[in-house]
Amino acid sequence: MNLEDYQTVFTVTVLGLVLVAASPTISLYLHSGRERFSELWVLGPNRMAEDYPFNVTRGKRYSVFVGVGCHMGGSTCYAVYVKFRNQTQPLPNATLSEPSPLEPLYEFQVFVADEMTWESQVNFTVLGVVRLRNSTFVRYLSINDVVFGVNSTATWDSEYKGFFYQVFFELWIYDTAVGSFQYHNRFVGLWLNMTV
Amino acid sequence: MSSVLGMDNDEALTAIRKAEFAVASAYEAVLEAEKAGANVSDLLEKLNVGAENLTKACMLYRIGDLEGAAHFADLCRSSVVDVTNEAETLRDLAVVERKKQVLVISLASTFGVGVTVFGGFLGWRRFKEWYLRRVLKMKPEVVSNES
Repeated sequence: MNLEDYQTVFTVTVLGLVLVAASPTISLYLHSGRERFSELWVLGPNRMAEDYPFNVTRGKRYSVFVGVGCHMGGSTCYAVYVKFRNQTQPLPNATLSEPSPLEPLYEFQVFVADEMTWESQVNFTVLGVVRLRNSTFVRYLSINDVVFGVNSTATWDSEYKGFFYQVFFELWIYDTAVGSFQYHNRFVGLWLNMTV
Repeated sequence: MSSVLGMDNDEALTAIRKAEFAVASAYEAVLEAEKAGANVSDLLEKLNVGAENLTKACMLYRIGDLEGAAHFADLCRSSVVDVTNEAETLRDLAVVERKKQVLVISLASTFGVGVTVFGGFLGWRRFKEWYLRRVLKMKPEVVSNES
């Protein structure tokens, strides 16, 4: 190596050390570019992804857990709306990011810190069930001991053999710019076969 | 619509709107404090208490229990009433702390960069002198030409 080669090595080494010495200051002005997202899940009564209620009868209490995970880069305010539908009523539209037009029954509002999760038990009981010839009528749904009128009819599904309803959870997020909750395009549901 | 105890629909709705506004204002203050670098976990807990009362108020309103709705709306407001002030205090403290931190880090970095550049310059000069001395001490090598 001649003197010029040594000079290049010296310059590169010193520049590297300058970058190391300046990195604490640089880090003050750099922001994490990680992806921001939220999670929504439903677990069974044992807080595992198993033993979900499916065949339900009137008056019996069923339990699931609903959870939210926040990876939004800061504390976030969420709303989880619990809705109830029969097979003909609309679900949220994931393509258009639109929620189901059905009215929410129960709701949770929760503030979750970044990289933290929230979970809550949801106990529900189907009440006022009337079995007709080819259909089932559900008058009330009790969620966490609050009774809601649902007045929903399910007709016999000959393909899957049952009277099917769905309890589903929509995730909404509070948008401070708008000043209201906006649908966050996430939902999870539980199919229920009304066995009366 | 009016309930047995005389609470009418508008009163319950107004109570809920006030509670929503209180929670939203408190949340925005908490977000500002968090952005400034404050630890807002305690404030989030208080906000969650307020939000729980607010959701109860909304649900009771939906099923027609106006008295209950107004009661929980008031509870919600009282549970978040201090949050905004606490968040602003935390934000101000965090801003001061952040300024101190930036100053210390900037000074340390500047010092580090200065020492590195100066040290590099001195080191290079010494190396260069040593290298040139070594070159000058070298004796020319006689190579026979055997072509």
